[in-house]
Amino acid sequence: MKISKWKIAAFLTPCILLFSLVFVIPMLIIIVTSFFDWKAGGIFNFVGLNNYINAFTADKRMHQAIINTLIWVALQATIHVSLGTLIAYLLSMKVKGWKVFRTIYMIPNVISSSVLAVILVNVFRAKGGLVNGIITKITGTTFTKNWFFDSDSAFITVTLTWLIYTGLIVIIALAGFMSVPEEIIDAARIDGASDAKLLFRIKLPLIRTVLGTCVILAATSKLTEFELIYLTTGGGPGDMTINLPLYLYKTSMIDNNYGYASMMSVVLVLFGVICVFLIHRIFRMNEADI
Amino acid sequence: MLSKKSKLWVTVTMIFLILMALISIGPLFWVVMSSFKTTKETMRDAFALPNSWNFDGYRVALDISPIFKFYGNSLVIALSSTLLNLVVVSMAAYALARFRFKGNEQLTLLFSSSLLIPVSALLMPIYRIWMTLKLFDTRLGLILVYAALGLPESLFLFKAYFQSIPKELEEAAYLDGAGVFRTFLTIICPLAKSGLATGAILQFLKSWNEFIFALVLTKSTEVRTLPLALNYFTSQFTFNYAAMFAGITMAVLPSILIYVLLQEQVTSSMIAGSLKG
Repeated sequence: MKISKWKIAAFLTPCILLFSLVFVIPMLIIIVTSFFDWKAGGIFNFVGLNNYINAFTADKRMHQAIINTLIWVALQATIHVSLGTLIAYLLSMKVKGWKVFRTIYMIPNVISSSVLAVILVNVFRAKGGLVNGIITKITGTTFTKNWFFDSDSAFITVTLTWLIYTGLIVIIALAGFMSVPEEIIDAARIDGASDAKLLFRIKLPLIRTVLGTCVILAATSKLTEFELIYLTTGGGPGDMTINLPLYLYKTSMIDNNYGYASMMSVVLVLFGVICVFLIHRIFRMNEADI
Repeated sequence: MLSKKSKLWVTVTMIFLILMALISIGPLFWVVMSSFKTTKETMRDAFALPNSWNFDGYRVALDISPIFKFYGNSLVIALSSTLLNLVVVSMAAYALARFRFKGNEQLTLLFSSSLLIPVSALLMPIYRIWMTLKLFDTRLGLILVYAALGLPESLFLFKAYFQSIPKELEEAAYLDGAGVFRTFLTIICPLAKSGLATGAILQFLKSWNEFIFALVLTKSTEVRTLPLALNYFTSQFTFNYAAMFAGITMAVLPSILIYVLLQEQVTSSMIAGSLKG
């Protein structure tokens, strides 16, 4: 049956409008205005690549934000995903209570990360915090480390807070492990493959694309991380735990330096595109083989 | 020998899994428990169980902060954005799945490319546009953004579902003289119910939990959502831990409740949503 053009348009137009309003027009704005000196009070001058040059040469805070963001993306994409995959593998052996574990691991992923951030502020609080409470119990002496605000522990504490989100990786990887056909595993066992061999030679390669998806999810979630820093350390002490989204927020909403913020948005988008592209290549994700 | 070794393995595995479970819900459990303690008790021994059930924290929290108003705002915004997302995206997904027209593939590619954009990059321009359109500090403003944020995931989910429905059903409907809109509403949507539900759950949770756009696009308490309210807890309840913990407990309760009630659906939605993305 032939469907008239205006009917097709009627189906598509609302979606295109919404998409343009929130994605296309903002994208165009950040690309264009990243070449402008645009500040509150009507300042709007073309400055060419100045914002970019300034960011990559003079702006120490920007350097710190980029370095932190990249470190966190790398840690998340490797350690976090490995941990999640390991847990998923153990659960896929159907250990006692695996369904209960799966349910528990997912809970932090369904609650708002702002709630979780406020909870963690209290967990790592110097006085009356859970972590110090446990340490005091074990050692018998009062322990009052200010985990989020001491300069020797702030970075690692922020990094550790993300451990709590392993659950999402677990359920996705678990779904992957479950999708490996029984016949393949049985055949390999008959051929005398050990558990380790089965895991590294057969299961992991077979769920490659699922793992790739996990890595993309983990990496991009750290590119956009905001709440768990803003609501805990606020980027401090100094700029030790600042990242790109947080600096972007401060530049645009507090300093009202819109042109510079646009440049940072462009950098952030480029990072995102490069990340996804690289991970796709590494995991050979467009060659499906399950 | 073998059984001894495997017994050890099982024990190690169990300890590891239990440890991870404690990390996952220990903090949450601790906050709920501490909400029934007095601030003094918490300060003296953070780790101890409450001496008695103490509801002072809840009373103070409800006095200081209009939590029920924030519940209402969050609910209205999350439900509306879910509905908007469902209607707008399912129509587009149907057109892209079924109709042959020039630019179909390019349009699909354009929609999917938005998955590559870290959303925080769009904060400033959206804030400026919302100011111009007078959408700043309104519920509608947040509803529009939230509906759009879930657009790419929903689109792929719905499109895949529509494509899995046999074409013959629609053709029969057309032969009976039903129009495109009626066929879509009365034949396709009921058949794709579970797919639509999956998308709706994802979209609801996303909107219910969203923080950064709420922070940037609203300012008055009138339209404040629950996650944003948390932002002010730490300063409002300084030195009254009991009230802060009570506030957190009340804020987190609905999400947990939804998850417990719809556990299977939520889990499978999250898997489906991630794999499509």
